[in-house]
Parts: sequence; structure tokens; C-alpha cells
Amino acid sequence: MAKHACQLNFLSRSDGSALYSIGNTVALASVNGPGEVKKSNRHYNRSHLEVCYSPSTGQSMIGERTLESVILHTVEQVILVHLHPRTATNVTIQEMQSDGLALSTSVNATCLALLDAGVQMKSPFAAVTCCLTPSGTIIIEPTEAELKESEALATFVFDGQALNVLSAHQEGCLDSENFYACLRKCQTAAKDVLNFYRRIMEEKYSSDKSYN
Amino acid sequence: RAAKMGTNIGGVEVLRVVLPGDEVLQLNADKADISIGPGLRWQENVICATRSGLLKKTSKNLYYVDTHQKRYIPNAKEFVIGIVIKKTGNNYIIDIGASDKATISELVFENSSKKARKELKPGDLIFGQILVANKNIEPELVCIDVFNNLVGIGSLPDGGIMFTLPLHIARLIVNPKNSLLLMIAQKIKFMLLVGFNGRVWVKAQKQKEMVTIMNCLMMLEVMTLEEAKENIYRLHTSNSKNF
Repeated sequence: MAKHACQLNFLSRSDGSALYSIGNTVALASVNGPGEVKKSNRHYNRSHLEVCYSPSTGQSMIGERTLESVILHTVEQVILVHLHPRTATNVTIQEMQSDGLALSTSVNATCLALLDAGVQMKSPFAAVTCCLTPSGTIIIEPTEAELKESEALATFVFDGQALNVLSAHQEGCLDSENFYACLRKCQTAAKDVLNFYRRIMEEKYSSDKSYN
Repeated sequence: RAAKMGTNIGGVEVLRVVLPGDEVLQLNADKADISIGPGLRWQENVICATRSGLLKKTSKNLYYVDTHQKRYIPNAKEFVIGIVIKKTGNNYIIDIGASDKATISELVFENSSKKARKELKPGDLIFGQILVANKNIEPELVCIDVFNNLVGIGSLPDGGIMFTLPLHIARLIVNPKNSLLLMIAQKIKFMLLVGFNGRVWVKAQKQKEMVTIMNCLMMLEVMTLEEAKENIYRLHTSNSKNF
């Protein structure tokens, strides 16, 4: 598995932020909320969630909208939105460097930023990406080069308690046997990500400021 | 000063670091007199954490999660510093740094009556207590309680500076016997008002002294209390030289 690293409270003006990397893919997530909301987005009984993803180069287009919708779908299921009616919670993700793992890095950076901001949640969530090579091997957290050679890739996001699947994103052709094999491997790898979160939080609360 | 697991500081015991969803307690019949505070949720006989932070327990069996956060969520009976936005009817609309604006009636100030109402301009600062606040209504502030005793001090005098700190730092310096504040007081005479919404107002005789105090308190964001105490003399002498 590739190396995970994180620095919390990276942005001084955000309620919570996290600079997070898996291998050579780096994302910066910033969370603000629960705060003021436009009248058009006000819900009488819940907080309005928004996700905005900016790529490192070029304009934000349909591919970025896909990433935003996966992250929004995940975050909807864990944030306790009914505790803050008539407010909005914004998540902004800036892609700093991409080595193929943009989705899982962004999802994990979002989780760490939410933990840093103290937004009330049911549990943390962890994303793991894997790819299937033509020879039938499953590689967890592949690099861009390995992804180019692969037949299919799948990203799963798991919740922190029972490791249930919160969202899944898949590209390429996976038959059901390979799909379940990928799912099981990713589920095992997710435990490492959740342990990483716990370690980061323990360091934060022991008054230590930068993490690796 | 860093809270080590299992330590007991002033009757509050630090248990461990929790993440959202961690089970804190199972409720059985013999644990009937437990109270749960911020950051905890009771679901189907299990108490879970909803935020990441330090799980703490007071001597009166109150469990809560102490989170380092910046966003203020209003709670009743807390003292806050607010900025006057505008006046509507008989109320002022105040910004307290939360998702909703707070209201305060012009009659709930000291020496204010229907004949002699309190006049506030937009941009004035007030220090008051939150009367009511929950997720469904706008918070309401008062500067006087039901017995007509002064609560908070109404509008703040001119000449001070206001800045914002993370909430957990503000909670540290609310205690007037805090060792960092006592150290600063040996060098500079100052007046300090701390709001639970993270806003802090300082007034001293000279501008440079107020800036020094502001920088000392902002250092607590990035270092521990001991490290901050070591650095304040350096900050004070460097500020005195520049002006």
C-alpha cells in the first residue's frame, strides 16, 4: 500500500482543512460550516451540503462534476444534517497533484477536514481504489502508470463502524467474481486508512502540529 | 499541559481520543445517573461520539467530547461578543459569528427604559449573554437578566481591538487565573473580554501593547501554554523596540 501523509488545519481561515496525500497524489480539502446559507438553498429541517472540486490544471468540467457527486453522496450519509437546520456546510477540494488516485485522495481529505472542523458525523469514512490488471491481479492504490495498463478500476468508500459500502465508483469491465474480490481487498485496506485517521487525531490532541 | 490519558485536572478526567461513531458507554440499569454533554449522542442504549476530540468526564458523571474547533454554535447562558448590524423595530440584529444572527431588545440594557432607550450604531460591540438558543430558532441576547441585574456589560468602550481565536483557546483564557494572562499582566495593564464565540476584546493604554497581547494570545493556536510563556518576553521586547 502507498504511503499516506496528512497535515491538519493547513488553512488558517477555514473551519477545518486537511492537506492529504496517498503516494504522489495530493489533495487539499477545506470545510466551512454549519454557516449561513442562501435563501434558495435553505431547508427547514437540515443543513445544505455542497461540494466543490477544483482540478490542478484546466477548468472544472464534467469529470470534476462526477467526483463532486460521489463525494456529496458519501458525505450526505455520514454528516448529521438534521442537527443544523437552515444552515449550509461547504466542502471545497483543490487537487494539488494527481498520480491517478484523485477520487480516493479527495474523499479521504474530505473526511480528515470534517474531523478537523468538528462537524458532527455518524462515523468517519475511508476510500480505497484498486485496479485489475490484464493478468487478473488486483493492485490496491495503483500509480498512474499501473492504471494505464489495467483493465478496470474500482473505488469503494467504507464507513468507519461496520465497513459497509457508502459509495462505489467503477470504470472499465469487471465481472461479478472480480468485483467481489476487489471489494473484499479494499475492505481490508480500509482498516489501515481508518487506523491512520485515529493516529492523526491522537497526534492532534497531544498538541503536536505536523504529521506524517 | 498537554492532556495525557487518564489524568485528572481540576476534577475533569481525560479518558481518550475518540472519533465519530466510537462507542463510549453501554447503558445498563446501574449507570442510571450519567449526563451526556456536547459531542455525544444517545442511540438505542449506546452512547456514541459525534465529533473527534478528547473524551472527558467531570466529577459529577458528565461525559462530553472536547473538540478543537473554530465554528461557534450558540448555546444558552453563554457569554458572547457581538457586532451590531442594524436596528429593526425595537430590536437590534447582532452578528455573533454563528450561522444565524442574534437579536437583542433595546430595553434589556442597564438603565434602559421605554423613555430612555439604548442607542447603538452599526459596528458597535456588545458583550451579552445568550438567553435562548437551539437549532430551530434565532438566538436572543440579553445584557440584563430577569432580576434586572447586569449581565455582560452592554456596549464596549471605544479604543480596544477585537480578534477571533479558536473556541478551545478562548475557553482556556476565560479563566482569569490563567498563567499566561498573569505573566502578561506583570508587564502590561490591560482589560480583556473573552466571548465563548471565540471573539476576544482587549484594551490597553497604548496601541503597541494591545497588538502585543493579541499576538501572545494568537500564539496559543500553534504552541502549547509552556512554549507560549517562553516566547512572550521576546515578543514584548521586540514590539517595544519597533515603536
